[in-house]
Amino acid sequence: MEPVKGKLDVNHELTLKEFPYIIQWRDDRCKRCGQCTAVCPVKAIVPDLRVDRVAGSEGPIPNPSVTRRVTQIVKQVHDIDRYCVGCAMCSLVCPNEAITPEFNPNHKFLFYKNRAGDAYKRGGRRNDPTPSTLDQLKFTRISMLTDPALDAGRHEFHLRTFLGRILPPESMPLKAENGMLVVDKNSDIFIPPVREIYPIMIGSMSVGALSPPMWEGLAMGVAYLNEELGMPVVMASGEGGMPPRLLKSRFFKYFILQIASGYFGWDEIVRALPDMVEDPAAIEIKYGQGAKPGDGGLLMSYKVLKLISEIRGVPMRVDLASPPTHQTKYSIEEAVAKMIQSMSMAWGFRVPVYPKISGTKTARAVLNNLARNPYAAALSIDGEDGGTGAAYNVSMDKMGHPIASNIRECYLDLVKQGKQNELPIIAAGGVGKKGNLAANVAALIMLGASAASIGKYVMQATADCLGDENNRCNLCNTGRCPRGITTQDPKLYRRLDSEKVAERLVDVFKAADVELKKIFAPMGRSTELPIGMSDGLSAGNEEIARKLGISYVC
Amino acid sequence: MSAKEKTHKEEKIINGKIDGQRVSSRVLEERIQNAIKEGARELYVIADGQHGIGGRIWPRGDHHNGTVHVKVEGPVGQRLGSMGMEGTEIIVHGSASDDVGWINCGSRITVLGDVTNGAHNAAAQGVLYVQGGAGARCDTLTKHNPRFAPPQSWYFRNVGDSFAEFKAGGISVICGVDPRNPDNILGYRPCVGMVGGVVYFRGPIRGYSAGDVRLAELTDEDWAWLTENMRPYLEAIDRKDYYRELTKNRNDWKKLVAHTPAEKNALKKKARTFSDFRVSAWDKEVGEGGIFAPYLDHERSLLPYITTGTERRNKPVWANGKYNPPCAYNCPTHIPTHKRTALIRQGKFVEALDLALEYSPLPATVCGQVCPNPCMQACTRGLYIDKPVDISALGALSLSLKAPKPAKKTGHKIAVIGGGPGGLSAAWQLALKGHTVDLYEEAAKLGGKLELCIPRERLPQAVLRKELERFQEIGVKVNLKNKIDNKKFEKIYKDHEAVIVACGAHAPRMIPFEGSADAAISAYDFLKGINAEKAPVLKKKHVVVIGAGNVGMDAACEAWRLGAESVTAVDVQKPAAFGKEMDAAAALGTKILWPKVTEKYDKKEKTIYFKDGSSLEASLVIVAIGETPITGFLPETIDRVKGSWVRVDETGRTTDPKVFAIGDATKPGLVTHAIGAGREVALRLHSELMHYDYMSEVTTPIPYGRVKTAYYERCVTETGEPEKDAARCLSCGSCRDCHMCENVCYWGAISRIEKPDGQFEYIVDADKCIGCGFCAGVCPCGIREMIENI
Repeated sequence: MEPVKGKLDVNHELTLKEFPYIIQWRDDRCKRCGQCTAVCPVKAIVPDLRVDRVAGSEGPIPNPSVTRRVTQIVKQVHDIDRYCVGCAMCSLVCPNEAITPEFNPNHKFLFYKNRAGDAYKRGGRRNDPTPSTLDQLKFTRISMLTDPALDAGRHEFHLRTFLGRILPPESMPLKAENGMLVVDKNSDIFIPPVREIYPIMIGSMSVGALSPPMWEGLAMGVAYLNEELGMPVVMASGEGGMPPRLLKSRFFKYFILQIASGYFGWDEIVRALPDMVEDPAAIEIKYGQGAKPGDGGLLMSYKVLKLISEIRGVPMRVDLASPPTHQTKYSIEEAVAKMIQSMSMAWGFRVPVYPKISGTKTARAVLNNLARNPYAAALSIDGEDGGTGAAYNVSMDKMGHPIASNIRECYLDLVKQGKQNELPIIAAGGVGKKGNLAANVAALIMLGASAASIGKYVMQATADCLGDENNRCNLCNTGRCPRGITTQDPKLYRRLDSEKVAERLVDVFKAADVELKKIFAPMGRSTELPIGMSDGLSAGNEEIARKLGISYVC
Repeated sequence: MSAKEKTHKEEKIINGKIDGQRVSSRVLEERIQNAIKEGARELYVIADGQHGIGGRIWPRGDHHNGTVHVKVEGPVGQRLGSMGMEGTEIIVHGSASDDVGWINCGSRITVLGDVTNGAHNAAAQGVLYVQGGAGARCDTLTKHNPRFAPPQSWYFRNVGDSFAEFKAGGISVICGVDPRNPDNILGYRPCVGMVGGVVYFRGPIRGYSAGDVRLAELTDEDWAWLTENMRPYLEAIDRKDYYRELTKNRNDWKKLVAHTPAEKNALKKKARTFSDFRVSAWDKEVGEGGIFAPYLDHERSLLPYITTGTERRNKPVWANGKYNPPCAYNCPTHIPTHKRTALIRQGKFVEALDLALEYSPLPATVCGQVCPNPCMQACTRGLYIDKPVDISALGALSLSLKAPKPAKKTGHKIAVIGGGPGGLSAAWQLALKGHTVDLYEEAAKLGGKLELCIPRERLPQAVLRKELERFQEIGVKVNLKNKIDNKKFEKIYKDHEAVIVACGAHAPRMIPFEGSADAAISAYDFLKGINAEKAPVLKKKHVVVIGAGNVGMDAACEAWRLGAESVTAVDVQKPAAFGKEMDAAAALGTKILWPKVTEKYDKKEKTIYFKDGSSLEASLVIVAIGETPITGFLPETIDRVKGSWVRVDETGRTTDPKVFAIGDATKPGLVTHAIGAGREVALRLHSELMHYDYMSEVTTPIPYGRVKTAYYERCVTETGEPEKDAARCLSCGSCRDCHMCENVCYWGAISRIEKPDGQFEYIVDADKCIGCGFCAGVCPCGIREMIENI
C-alpha cells in the first residue's frame, strides 16, 4: 500500500525483543572509540545519534529554558539480516566493559529469518541446549574390591583401536613356522589393511569449510601428536581435497582422505599419486552427514575465493553444492561395492576404505551390507548433533538420528552375527557437545563404537569457536567467522595462529587421554578398549536405559 | 596365658603353636602384648605363619622403658613389624612374607632372608635391613616426617617391579649383590609418582619413571652417609665382609631422586615448542610457508582484531555530492536547491539566485508560481522535521535576475519547434552554450500553455512577461506565428543540425457522449478563451467539469470567477488533482464526485446524467481530460505512439537520430517536466556537438535515513525568508563543512584540507582509521559512506 509519503517510520520494524541477542550498551562507560562497531562481524551495531531535550526551570517561578544535546551512541540495528549473533566480539575489544550482547530466551528469530523466502541457513550444530543422551550416561561399574582396579596414573595404558576389517582367526591364512604361528604371505586370501589408531579421530572438516590456519593448525597438531608424543591420532580431510604439499609429505599417513559426492579436489589427489611417499590412514566415502542428513556438502560463495577455487578446481565466488548422494549410485550393494573397490584400487588395496553415513534408521541395513563386503573397512555413523559449516537450519534442527541408540543397534546387530570384533563402527555427532569429550567417547565405546570422531568440539577447544546451541554466532556459512576459523578472508583468518591451534589440539588430546584412563582404569581396563562393555554403563532415565539395553540407576 | 610359658629375665619365648596347634594371629598378638606389659623386653617368637608380629610395641608394665628385642623364627606371616614403633628391634631368622614393616614408625627390622611384595610400604620412620632380595611394590608410599629421621630400607640383592611408587620420603638402598634379575636390579618402572626421598642403587637398571625422578651421581654427602650407614647394615645382616666391595667405588652407585616441582615444570616445557615443530619438522617436510603457501599471497603474520590501513575490513569514503538531495532529485528540472542554500549560508545571495538560470529560463514563473514544487514535497526537512525549505519563495525572487551571457558562438545551428516551456528551456540552454537557435512558434506570443491556458490568477502576466523578455536577451531567433507543416519541417530539418520538437499538446480530448455537442467545451478551449479575453458569462449557471485533474481544477476556479452558481467536478476514478490547484478549487466551493461515468446530456433539462442513475444540473460542461499533441507535420520516419505522441528513447531522441522531442509532445506532464526535458536534451545534444561524454547530474537520491535529522530542532519560527530557510536546509548529501566527523573520530584520523581550487575535503588518514563508522554515523548530511575495504 502507498504510504503517506515519508511518514512511515517503524510500522514494519521489529522490536529488539524479537532478536536472539540484545546489545547491552552503557553510555556511562563508553568512550566512543568505535572498536566495537569496527569489529562487529555482522554490523549489528552502528554509531548513531541521540537527542536529549529537556525543558527546565530555574528560580522561584516558572522560568523555562530548554537544553538540547545531541550525543553519539552505539545502537543495535533492527534489521533481521543484521541481527546480533551474540559473538561478543564487541565485549572482547571494548576497553571499558561498556558493551555486551545478552541472550534473549524469548526471541522470535525463526519467525522472521525467512526474508525474501530464503530459508534460514547457518553453520554450527543442532540448536538444542539440553544434554544429549551421551551426557546422561554414567559409568557405574567401578572396580574396587571385586576385581583389581587400575590406577590411571600408575598403570600403563594402551588406548588404541583398530581401523580396518579384522579377519576372524579361522579365516586368517596362518601356518606354523619354527613352532610359531605366522601369517602365510603366499596365501591367496586377502588380508584387509588395518591401522592401529587413537580412538578419538578428528572428523571431516574440509579445506574450504575451515580457513587455512585452522586446517593447517589441526594438521600440524596431528603430526605433533603422532611424531612427538606417539599418539596415533588421525584426521579426516573433508571433501575439499588436500593441498598437494601434504599429499606428498610423510605426514600424509596421519590423514584420512574423504571422497564425497562433489568430488572436489580429486584430480589433484590422483595427480599426486606417483609422488606419494606414504599411504593415507584410510579413505572415507561420505554418503551422509549428521548435521544435515540428505543434504550434500555446501560451501557458500563467500568462501570460494582464490585458494578454494584452485584446490577444488572450481570458479571463484560460486556456491558449491555437492549432490545429496553420489550420482552414480543405483543401489546400496552396487554403490558401496563400486566406491570401496575404486578407492581401494587407488592405493593397491593397502588402505582401509569405509563409508560414512548420517545417523538414520536405515543404518543397520547399510551395516549388514558392509558386513558381507570383504573390502569394507568400517562404518562411520554421524549422529544428529554433528556440526557443519553450512546447512539449512531445518536440516540441522530437525533431521537426523541421535548417535547413541543408532550405534547401539548396529553394534548389537554385529554381535548377533558374531562379527562385533571384525567390523569397527565409528561414532560421531555431538561428541563432547557439553565439553565432556572423554566421557562421551568412553560411553560410545562402551555402547559398541570402536572409535569416535569429533569436529565441532575441536573448533571450540582449539580455536575458541564461539558457537553454541543457543544459536550463538553460527556464522560459519557466511565467511565472516570472527575467530578466523571458518572464513577464507585473510583479514579474518589472519587473526588465528595455526601454532596455537596445533598446541591446543595437543592439549585436548593429552587431557582427553588422561580422562579416558580415569574412566577406564576404575573399570579395570587398560590394554583393550571396553568396546561394547555396556554393563559398565547406566542411565538415570529408564527409557534411555531400556532402549540402549543398559541398566537403569537412580 | 598358657602355664607352659615361663618368663625369663632375658628372653620370653612365645610359641606360635600350642600343643602342636597353630594359634591365631589374634592370640599370638595378645600374648606378645601381655608379655610386654609384664615387663618382658627380649622376645623369642617361634612363628607359624602368624601376621603382624612385632608391631605396635611400646614398653609398658613395670619397666616403662628399654628396647624390646624380638627374635622371630619359623614361617612368618604378612605384615611383620607393621606399625612398628621406636624401641622395637626385630630380627627375622629367615625370609619374611608381604608388607614387612608396613607403616613402620620407628622399629628396626632385620630380615635375614628375602622379603616378598610390599616391604616397607608406607614406612615413615625406622629401618628395614634385608639380607636377600625383595618382591614387587617395595618401598612404595614411604614418607619422611620432618620431626623424625627418615625411614631407611636396605636390600642386599635386588628389588621387584614397581619399586618406590609414590615414594614421598626416606632412603632406599639396593646393593645389587648377586641379584636374581641381573639385568635390572630395580624391576619394571620404579619410582612412578615418587615425589621425595632417594633411591641409592648399585647395578644395572632398565628405566625408571623419568617424569617423576631423575638419575644422578652420588654427592660427597650421599657417599659419606652411605659408607657410614653401610657398616651397621652389613653387620646386621651378617655380611660385613662385603663392606670393601660395596664401598670401593662411588661410581658403582647411582641415585634416583624426585624432580622438584620446578624441575617438573621445566620438564613439561622441555616438550618441543610448536614454533620449533613448525619450522624444523612441518615446514621442512611440506615446504617453506606450510601446506597452503602456494595459494596464499598475503603476509604470513597475525592480525589484531582492530586494524588500520589496508587491513581494515571497512573504510569510510567521502561521498560528497555522490547522491542527489531529495529536492534536486525530485525536481524534474533538477534545480540544486542544496547548492543555492549553501551559497546563501555563505552570504552569496545573488549567486544563489543566479544558479537557477543555469537550469531554467523561467524560475519565477515556474518555481515561484505555477509549479506544484515536487522539490518541496520531497524535502527531508518537511517530511521528517517540520516544514520544507521554501523553494517556491526562492524561485519568486529570481524574477529580477539579469540574463546570463551566452558563450562564444560555436557555429552549430539548431531548430526548436514550439515556444512553450520545453522549447524555451531547450533553446535557452543551447543558446547559452553558444549555439545558434531558431525557434518556431505557432502562436503570436511565446509561453505555450503558460501563456494560453494557465489562468492569470495563478500566473500573473507580469511575471511571465518579464521572464520571457529575459529569454529574448540571449539571442535566440524567435519566429512567431509560424505554424509548421510537413514542407516547412522538411526545410527546417535540412537547414539545421538538429531539430527539437517541443510542440506541446494542443488537441483537447473530448468524450463522445449523447448530447455532448450541445453543452460541452474542452477545458483547453475554455481556459484559452479566458486568457484571450473571450470569456463566457456564467452568472447563475451550474457548471460541471468532467475530469478532476489539475487542469479541471483550474477550469473550476475560472468558472467560479466567471460567476458560476455552482461548480462540480466529476471523475471516473480517484481525482488526480493535488496541491495549489486542488486547494484553490476546493476553497471556492468546488464539489468533487467520483466515480461518475457520464451517460448523456439533456439540453432541455440542462442536466447531465451518469451511468449510476444520478444526474446534475449543468448549463456548461467542461471536459478536462487532457490534450494530445498535433504532430502531423512530422514525417513518417518519426514514429508516433498511441496516436500522435512522438516516440522517444530515454535520451529524448526520436526514431530519426537528428530529431529530438520533449515535453507534452511525448507524454503529458508538468511545466517543470517540459523544462527539465528541454535542458536534458539540450545538454546531451551539446555534448554530442562538442564531442564529449554527457554526464548527467542526476544520480540516485540519498536515502532519507542517511540524513541525520536529530541535529535539528523543530522550527518554532516562521519560515519563508530565504536567509533563515537556507539555515534550515539539511544539506542532504552535500557537506555543510561542520567538522562533526573530524571531532567525533577518536583516532584523530580525519582532517579538513583545502584544495587549490578553493574546494575543501575531509580526508581520512588510513593509518589511523580503524573503520568504525563513527564519522558516517554522525555526519549530519550523510556524506560519509562505509564501504568494504577491498
